[in-house]
Amino acid sequence: MMPHHNDLPDPITVEVVRNKLEGIANEMQSTLFRSSFSPIVKEGLDASASLFTLEGETLAQAIAIPIHLATLIPVVRAILDEFPAATMVDGDVYIMNDPYLGGTHLPDIALVMPIFHDGRPMAFSAAMTHHQDVGGMSPGSVPTNATEIYQEGIRIPPLKFMDRGVVNDTLIKMLRLNVRMPDSFTGDLNAQIAACEIGRRRLGELAARHGGATLTGIFADLLARSERMTREAIRAIPDGRYGYHDFLDNDGIDLDTPIRIEVMVTITDDTVHVDFTGTDRQVRGPFNCMPSGSHAAAYFAVHAMTDPDIPTNGGCFRPISLHLPEGSLVNPREPAPVNARTSTIKRISGCIVGALGQAVPERAPADAASEMLLLAFGGTRPDSSRYVIGELIASGSGASDGMDGVDVIETDGTNCMNLPVEALEMDAPIRVHQTELRSGSGGQGAFRGGLGLVREYEILSGEVVFTHRGERHAYPARGRLGGGAGAQARSVIRRVDGTEQVINSKTVERLGPGDRVLVETAGGGGYGDPEAREPQANAADRANRKTAST
Amino acid sequence: MKVNQPDIRVGVDVGGTFTDFACVLPDGRRLVFKIASTPGDPSLAVIAGLQELVTTHAVSAASISVFAHGTTVATNAVLERKGAVVGLLATEGFRDVLEIGRQMRRQMYSVRLATETPVFLAPGRRRVGVAERIGPDGAVLRPLDEASVIRAVEQLLAEGATSLAVALLFSFANPTHERRIRAIVAERWPELPVSLSSDIDPVFREYERTVVTAFDAYIKPTVDAYLANLAEALVGEAVNAPLRVMQSRGGLAGAAIARRRPVRLFLSGPAAGVIGGLAEGEANGYRNLITVDIGGTSCDIALVNDAKPLVRQEGMIDGFTVRVPMVDVNAIGSGGGSIAWIDRAGGLKVGPHSAGSAPGPACYGRGGVEATVTDASVVLGLIDPGYFAGGSLALDGEKAHAAIAERIAGPLALSVEAAALGIHRVLTAQMAEGIRLVSIKQGFDPRDFTLLGLGGGGALHACALAEELSMTRVLVPRYPGVLSAAGLLAAPVEHEVSASFARPISGLPPADVSAALAMLDIEAAALMSAEHLSTDSIKIQHAADICYVGQGYHLEVPLDLVGPDPLGTLYRDFLVLHDRIYGHSVEGETRIVNLRTVHQGPIDTRPAALQVEAGDPVKGIRPVLVGEGAVALQAPVLDRARMVAAHEFDGPAIIEQDDTTTWVAPGWHGRVLDTLMLLLEKTGDADRDGNRDAG
Repeated sequence: MMPHHNDLPDPITVEVVRNKLEGIANEMQSTLFRSSFSPIVKEGLDASASLFTLEGETLAQAIAIPIHLATLIPVVRAILDEFPAATMVDGDVYIMNDPYLGGTHLPDIALVMPIFHDGRPMAFSAAMTHHQDVGGMSPGSVPTNATEIYQEGIRIPPLKFMDRGVVNDTLIKMLRLNVRMPDSFTGDLNAQIAACEIGRRRLGELAARHGGATLTGIFADLLARSERMTREAIRAIPDGRYGYHDFLDNDGIDLDTPIRIEVMVTITDDTVHVDFTGTDRQVRGPFNCMPSGSHAAAYFAVHAMTDPDIPTNGGCFRPISLHLPEGSLVNPREPAPVNARTSTIKRISGCIVGALGQAVPERAPADAASEMLLLAFGGTRPDSSRYVIGELIASGSGASDGMDGVDVIETDGTNCMNLPVEALEMDAPIRVHQTELRSGSGGQGAFRGGLGLVREYEILSGEVVFTHRGERHAYPARGRLGGGAGAQARSVIRRVDGTEQVINSKTVERLGPGDRVLVETAGGGGYGDPEAREPQANAADRANRKTAST
Repeated sequence: MKVNQPDIRVGVDVGGTFTDFACVLPDGRRLVFKIASTPGDPSLAVIAGLQELVTTHAVSAASISVFAHGTTVATNAVLERKGAVVGLLATEGFRDVLEIGRQMRRQMYSVRLATETPVFLAPGRRRVGVAERIGPDGAVLRPLDEASVIRAVEQLLAEGATSLAVALLFSFANPTHERRIRAIVAERWPELPVSLSSDIDPVFREYERTVVTAFDAYIKPTVDAYLANLAEALVGEAVNAPLRVMQSRGGLAGAAIARRRPVRLFLSGPAAGVIGGLAEGEANGYRNLITVDIGGTSCDIALVNDAKPLVRQEGMIDGFTVRVPMVDVNAIGSGGGSIAWIDRAGGLKVGPHSAGSAPGPACYGRGGVEATVTDASVVLGLIDPGYFAGGSLALDGEKAHAAIAERIAGPLALSVEAAALGIHRVLTAQMAEGIRLVSIKQGFDPRDFTLLGLGGGGALHACALAEELSMTRVLVPRYPGVLSAAGLLAAPVEHEVSASFARPISGLPPADVSAALAMLDIEAAALMSAEHLSTDSIKIQHAADICYVGQGYHLEVPLDLVGPDPLGTLYRDFLVLHDRIYGHSVEGETRIVNLRTVHQGPIDTRPAALQVEAGDPVKGIRPVLVGEGAVALQAPVLDRARMVAAHEFDGPAIIEQDDTTTWVAPGWHGRVLDTLMLLLEKTGDADRDGNRDAG
């Protein structure tokens, strides 16, 4: 128990302020979700809001998907490098999105607003939104076939978006001309401003009540508290070096070349260091991941493997360091494309969990399939209107000590919903013939891995451009402590003429009426010796069709 | 002498600990009392209370004209996993929809995941496909293979199924296959209950429809037996009034009709509480309310906008999202029993763990050693240990003191008083953020609302919460602890019927909408006719769920077919609502998703005649610790039972009554309204003029 010193703010006011800060971040995020136009924000929850200290450390944040964890930190740092806090004026707002200066991928645009008290900056409020389109070679600005960042959209360095409350019209005109949907683009920027304003107003109220100096003292104390708790949790993990590696199938360009991700996690007393030496060089396709993404993955893995109840702020991140070799997949050199980095972040999380699992096997599951299969059907309805249907399909989670894996569920960095069959068929001339659990796809073990999904589509009319972006076609989710691997993903096109074609995990194909696509997502890894599985559990699996009844 | 006019209205709400009774006599007098609940068979307490009405309060059972009941039977069958063995029939190829769900997880930072779908309702061995297929337009793509139905049911019966759920793809567009299955089952297995998705929830999205249908099948035999048994017992007690039960939407339904769709009885208790609060507010001219019901373990928050509860189209049961229309009640895990603790970094936390009622707070003297919010209230002087729950439970002030000293004050090196105040400050900050989030998510600013303090703890924390939220008005009903029972008497009989109607608004002939609604009205009218209400007293409200084309979420917009340009109005109303909730709206392509009709019986608005006891309301004076420095203020203690209408007073003051204690903070002015409702208003510079929001 920490003794209470007289030079620290009183613990009750600290807790009251902590509740307020979390409430403010939640209110900012709620405003962001409420006011945004982008369907990716509304339905994919791909936006987040944060409060930062003047030093650029996270004070409080509201996120709905873990890949946003701490991704604003390098953005705030980049802005502070360009515009030192002492030069900022009340009413300024800063903008940027460039991955090579600290961003994530181009659609994620960050706005940062300094908050003033007594004429001096006291903190920052920031909002990041995945915009629907930021230009580039394809609508939506996430081209799977990009080979350099210039194809992915417009790059924005740290710039003033507002100067003393006046919007930078030159910049707005420039940006609007470079995006496909300028109105919803500016609408989303306005939502970000509204969110930042909430942070400014409410933090201002807090400062008026407690005094600016007391408040910043409390900020420092809150970060120190979370740091202490995180260090204590890390200290409970045995010291040592724990290595793990896994693969992405390919980069979408060089289809026969797997991509290796390797981590060496070193626990020394109360610190975690993750060394990515051994990870492959940067790739031609858009699967490269900026350092912000590797940090998000590391923070997610450490948070999940220590104590998720520790209040999340910059203090949690202090004991964690990363070595990201330059020119590698996790720290690429310009102008490598980066838009599809989500798959990479997911696999990095899995690797760090896998490494830490050697230190604390009772807390780590076997590998999750962690496949978020993206399908897109673009075609024409019989009335000649056009449609594009996107699907995100999950796979099986890894089994863990005492628990079978979960079938078809989102894991690690992402958390998206699937598309109801009834919604799909009402919107497009496509028929779904099957949506079922993929029997037998979970890795065997004392505890069985989660199952993947089987889904079969038939094109009813017109020509369709079909995009398929999967993972785990080449490399299965591995088991732990003697558990077996989950089944690999597999997708087949059955043409109306009777020919069958097993397709690569990343591909774009043309389909016609009567053609069918069967996708089977990957299963999660099993945990422990399959011989040790309880006989009733095996019988229940057969009865419930989790395994084949032989 | 027994009261014999046949116009006695009785509301009975069953809770976990108590079964509450609210009874209005023909002369408007109100009786309110509690009976210990009988969880094994909740109807026993209902009948016991009825007998008490007859024997102690001289009410004639035959004179009861309304018997309205809030029951937890449906919810408890799920919480205790005591429902039927469900067999699920699905379209061939889609039998796993129930288990796959929407693939999202709620535990964002967990790597050891547990299933998020209600697989327990029907695991794989009790889910079977039948050969059939209907298309999105309702066309039969593959006729129903009746032999496959018989084989499937036989297989499910072999697995022990005692209740069937049928959820076929696109059955909302064409229910003939589902209905044929019911006929086949009725012919061969007449005793086997069947729930059809096209009856329960004829709306698109197969997972959500399957879940609600499977829950219906799961609780059907239990609810059926309970309601049949209670109805019979009431007849045995000479009650002629029909038994009506509260639905989660906030309306009553005759028991015989409710039994057809038992899934609509989930969480009816909190819904009744909101209806009760709404009625109390409206009776006093306040139509915009935030109701805050603080109990032992949780705090239920609901918004009332223009005297209407917000209804959402799905709710949560035991952690599962179920598409049943429900009064929008948001629970946060803070209440009187919430435990204060210190985290590993020396921070003071309150909740979400609760001492509950056993052992309860330390001051209950039942072996609890943790410091709770109620213990802090005792230390601060807000609660009189000798007069808790009307003196029925003597509290031990020393134990409260000791628990806070040992658990909180000692480790934090604070005085016990400062620690107790700290617990209240942290609790207030937490609850206020919860209330703020609930309001702003609906596009409302809490400052435009009046806070209604309900439950055992609402009135104690109301002033602090209001100040934290810059709200300037607080209302405390005369009986804030039994508002669910009172709400049962204030609720109308109501039936709702909805159906999918996927059409773009532009170019849509209004006649098509009228025709579709007419079909729904026929169904709803059939339900209402079974309620034996006079038809001219029934109000019909139509609504449409609308979204922009391409949007995956929709908003419910009231629809008036009588106007000159009903669909134009509908479109413009959608834009206004979208602007309120989402902060913007643009002219664009919109479409209808579902149509809905709600048929509502009359609402009894006769004010209750409440008695005031004679005598001086001031019982005494006691010190209360307030402010960040825990300063002792001498606060008069008032007896609520003796406070007559128009009585005015200033804070600080404590108002005691059997079911709650009201704390009127310094800077607040109190007044007793004609209805004996307590109105507290913030004085000083802020919004003193505070106009009523009623028109």
